[in-house]
Amino acid sequence: MATKVELRQYIGTLSAILWNYGASFPVPTLDAYSDGEVGFAITAELSGAADPRPAVLELTETWAPEGRGQYRRVEYAYEFVEFPLGRRRAFHRHDPDYFAREFGVVVHEHCEERIGQPACSHYYGLPIDAYEAIRRFLSAWGQPTLLGCSELRCMDQAA
Amino acid sequence: MQNKPFLSPADVARELGISASTVLRLIHAGDLPAIAISARIYRIPAASFELFKAGRIRQPEMAPLGGVKPRPQIGRDELLPVAPKRPLARAR
Repeated sequence: MATKVELRQYIGTLSAILWNYGASFPVPTLDAYSDGEVGFAITAELSGAADPRPAVLELTETWAPEGRGQYRRVEYAYEFVEFPLGRRRAFHRHDPDYFAREFGVVVHEHCEERIGQPACSHYYGLPIDAYEAIRRFLSAWGQPTLLGCSELRCMDQAA
Repeated sequence: MQNKPFLSPADVARELGISASTVLRLIHAGDLPAIAISARIYRIPAASFELFKAGRIRQPEMAPLGGVKPRPQIGRDELLPVAPKRPLARAR
């Protein structure tokens, strides 16, 4: 739970972290949505290798009002697409009712050692926040080792 | 060093004329942005080092309020996974 002021501080801290890693991105804002929810979306390009294009890190969150000026995070998508190494990692929370009913969890992960060729469409995972997502993405950034997708547990029956 | 995307603490120490342990202290204090590759191995993005040298490391500030925008469609372009079929309970 957080107030709008706390969310603005949170976004400001995320922004400073990304800036200090040399990322390029427009100044993020706490936005209002027509249904009363609030949230933000940050798309940052990382420095370093840029062929075919720079690595991109995206942080998107939606927070729903809970009364008394408090908001609760209801959805998130943290994405890291490392174009120079052709791979993707992501942490998601969306369609929580579906995932809870079908899999008993409300979050999932994506992992593609080669972009567009996932061994599994969705993996089990644990809830994280944007700080932890940044930490995990950056620990993989530019490193020649695998992301470790094969160590994750696949959700999809078809995989 | 100019073209390396990531620097080791030893690289930074050489560049600044300080010891590697001082570099690690800067990292642990949060003054020099670094990436933990593993529990004991750090790499400093070259861009972060340039910001550090230029005194341009930013402190957090409160983000501004934006206007009313369309709600992000998180996950809307994804096909939802299919759960394994559960075996039916045997009738007694």
